[in-house]
Amino acid sequence: MSSLDVRSRAAGQVRKEGVVAQRARPRRPGRRLRNDLVALAFLLPALFCFGYFAWWPMVRGLELSFQQTNLVDPAEWVGLQNFRRILDDPLLATAVKNTLLFAGLALVIGFPLPLLLAVQMSTVRRLAGLYRYLVYLPVMLPPVVGVLLWQMFYEPDHGLFNTVLGVVGLGPYPWLQSTHTAMLSLVLEATWAGMGSATLIYLAAITRVPPELYEAAETDGARIWRRLWHITLPQLRGTVLLLLLMQLIATLQVFAEPYLMTDGGPENATVTVLLLIYRYAFVDGDYGAASAMSMLLAVALSLLSAVYLWSTRRWSSS
Amino acid sequence: MNVQRIASAVLGLALTGSVAACSSGGDGGGSTDGKVTITVQGLPPKTAPAARKSFQTQIAAFEKANPTITVKATDASWDAQTFAAKLAGGRAETVITVPLTEPQGLIARHQVKDLTSELKSWPQYDEYNPKLLAPNKDAATGKVYGLTAPVGSYSMGLVYNRALFAKAGLDPDKPPTTWDELRQAAKAIHDKTGKVGYAETTTNNTGGWHLTSETYSRGGTMEKKQGDRYVPAFTGQPTKDALQLLHDMRFVDNSMGSNQLQNQQDVWRRFGAGEVGMFLDGPSAVVPIVQQFGGRLEDFGAGALPQDGGNATQLGGSAFMVNARATQAEAAAGVKWILFKYVKPYYEPEAAAAQAKTQSADPKNLIGVPEVAGFSDAVQQKVAAARKPYVNVPQANFRPYVEDNAKLELLPEPPVAAQKVYAALDPVVQAVLTKKDADPAALLDKAAEQMAVELEQAK
Repeated sequence: MSSLDVRSRAAGQVRKEGVVAQRARPRRPGRRLRNDLVALAFLLPALFCFGYFAWWPMVRGLELSFQQTNLVDPAEWVGLQNFRRILDDPLLATAVKNTLLFAGLALVIGFPLPLLLAVQMSTVRRLAGLYRYLVYLPVMLPPVVGVLLWQMFYEPDHGLFNTVLGVVGLGPYPWLQSTHTAMLSLVLEATWAGMGSATLIYLAAITRVPPELYEAAETDGARIWRRLWHITLPQLRGTVLLLLLMQLIATLQVFAEPYLMTDGGPENATVTVLLLIYRYAFVDGDYGAASAMSMLLAVALSLLSAVYLWSTRRWSSS
Repeated sequence: MNVQRIASAVLGLALTGSVAACSSGGDGGGSTDGKVTITVQGLPPKTAPAARKSFQTQIAAFEKANPTITVKATDASWDAQTFAAKLAGGRAETVITVPLTEPQGLIARHQVKDLTSELKSWPQYDEYNPKLLAPNKDAATGKVYGLTAPVGSYSMGLVYNRALFAKAGLDPDKPPTTWDELRQAAKAIHDKTGKVGYAETTTNNTGGWHLTSETYSRGGTMEKKQGDRYVPAFTGQPTKDALQLLHDMRFVDNSMGSNQLQNQQDVWRRFGAGEVGMFLDGPSAVVPIVQQFGGRLEDFGAGALPQDGGNATQLGGSAFMVNARATQAEAAAGVKWILFKYVKPYYEPEAAAAQAKTQSADPKNLIGVPEVAGFSDAVQQKVAAARKPYVNVPQANFRPYVEDNAKLELLPEPPVAAQKVYAALDPVVQAVLTKKDADPAALLDKAAEQMAVELEQAK
C-alpha cells in the first residue's frame, strides 16, 4: 500500500467521524436556516458576478446562435440557418484539422517539456529561485509582446533563429512562410510562452512526493529514469491528468498566435476554429454564425472533457 | 489578445445586446429644447497636443456657428471588435470614421444611418465628386449613408524610396508606369542595393485588396453581373497575369525578399526603415511612414499605379458615417459636423487657409499631401492657393503621382461582399509568393468556387 493510500484512507476516516459527530448534535431548524441565509448572503456577490458576466452571456450566446442580428434592430429567429452556414463553410474542415494539428503538436512537444524541466529543476540545489524565475519569465510577458518577439525571431532573412542556425551551417528555414512549418512554428512559440506555469505546478507537486520513496529506490539501485518512471510519474498522475486536460482545452482554443503571427496563412495553413469565429464576428459582422460556431466548439470541448474524465477516472482515483 | 478576450468579446455581444434595449443613442442625445449633443471620433491623442488643441478649436468654432449643437469628441478610432459591442450597448459615437473597406458591410447590416436627405440638402452636394460618394451608397436603393472626404483619400498608387532608386541607378523622378518597368526596377534595386525591390501585402485581406487594384490596372474586374446576381470574375487573364508577375518577381528575379506574410503596417515599418524599394499604397502613406515608422520625408516618392492596358485604379481612404442608433436630429447634426470639419476646407479657401494654419502650428503635421479631388478643378486651384503658404511636404516627390494618376479611371471596390473576395484571395497571393510550383489559374479557380457560394448567399 502506498503512502498516498494510507493518507486517503485516514482522511476518509476523519470525514466519516465528522459526519457521525454532526449527526450526534442535531441543530435546531431556525439556526440552520439562519446559517444557510448567511452563507447565501456571502455567496451572492460571486453568484451575481458569475451569473451576469459568465452564465447569462452564455445563455444569450446560445440564443444568438439561432438568430440573425445587427445589434440595432430586433433580432430575427432563423432556426438552424447559422449552423447550416458554418457547416457549409469550406474553411471549417481546414480550421478543425489545423486546430487538431496544433493541439497534437502541442501535446507532443509542449506537454512533456514542463515535466522534464520540473524534474530537472527539483534536483538543483543552488540558484533554484533564479531558475524558477527564468522559466516563469515568458508567462509574465504580455502574450502579444511574446508573439511579436517571436515573429521577429522567425524573420526569414535577418531573424534571430536563421542567423544563429546559419552560424552552424543550418538553414535558412522558412518558419512561418511555409505551409509545412508554419503550424510547428506557432506551437514552438506557444510552448515557450506557456510552459512556465505548468513547470511550477509540477515542481510544487514533486516537492510533495515523500523523499523516502526516492531514498528506497536509490538504495535498490534505481537510476534517474527508473525513479522518474516508477515514482515521480505515478505520484504526480493526478496533476499530470489535470494539466493534460487543461492543455487540451487551451490548445483547442488557440487564437493569439495565428491571429498575430500569420493571420491564418500561408494558404490557410494556420486558420483555427477560434480565428474563424473571430472573422465571422468582427470581419463579416455575422454575430449569429460566430455564436453558432462558439456553441459547437463549447459542446465539442465539453464532450472531450467528459470522455477524458470518464476514460481516466481509474488512473486518477486508483 | 488572449482566448478569454475573444471569447468574452463574442459572448459579450450577447450581454450588451440585452443592455441595448434599456439604452439610448450613445453619449449624445436629443432634447425637447431643440439642443442636441453628438459624439464624434477623430480627436488626436494627448500625445499630439498641438493637433488635439487644433481639433478642439474647430469644435469651438463649430459650436459657435451652430449654437444648438454640442460636440463631444473622443480619441477612440475605428475598431471592428469594439464597434459591435458599443453599438449594441448604445455607446457607439454618433459620427464614426471607418476604413473605406467597411461601408458596404455596415450598410448591408443596417448598422449606419441613412443620410440621404441630410446630404442632399447640402448646397454643394451636386458639385461633390460622385466617386467619393459611391462607396457610401447602397447601389440597389441609391440611398447615401456617408461621405468619403478628400482628407486622407487616395487612388491606389505606387510608393517608392527615392534614395534606393538613386542608389540602384534609377531616376527618382520617373517611377515605373507599367508592370514590366516595375519588375525591372525591383530587380535593379535588389541587385544593386540588396534591399527588397518590391513588397506585397498578403494578410488581413490586403492581398486580395491589392490584387483587385492590379487586376483593374490590367483591364480586369473581380465580379460581374449574371442575370440578377453577381458571380466571380477574377479567373480571367488580367488576374492570372498579375499573380504570375508576383510569382516571377519572387522566384525568378528574387526581388521580393523572403518574408511574404505581412500586412500594410508591416510594410510601412519596413519601408520606413529603408528596407523596401516599392509597394502599392496612396500618397497618404507618407503620414504613418514618417510620423510613426521613422521614414525620411525627402526619400518618400509617390507614383501612379503601374498599368497594363486597364488605365484604371481603385479608391482608398476613410468614410464618415453616423451610427444607426442616432436620432434624426443627431444625424443632421452629425452631417453638419462632417461637412464643417472635413469637407468645407476643400471648397472654401478661407476655411482651407485657416485649417492649414492651425495644422502648421505642429511641425510634425504634414501639409500638402495629394488627395482625391472633392470638387472641380477651378475650386481645387483656389483652395490649393490658399493652402500653399503652409505646405511642408516636397511637392516634387508627389508629382509623378499627381500627373499620371489624373489619366486613370477611379474604379470602386467589388460591388458585393468585397471583404469576402479579398479574404478568399489572400491565400492565393500567399501561395504564389511562398510556393515555387504554385499554379495561379488553379488557385483562382478554387477561390472562385468558394466565392460563388458566398456571392449567392449575399445576393
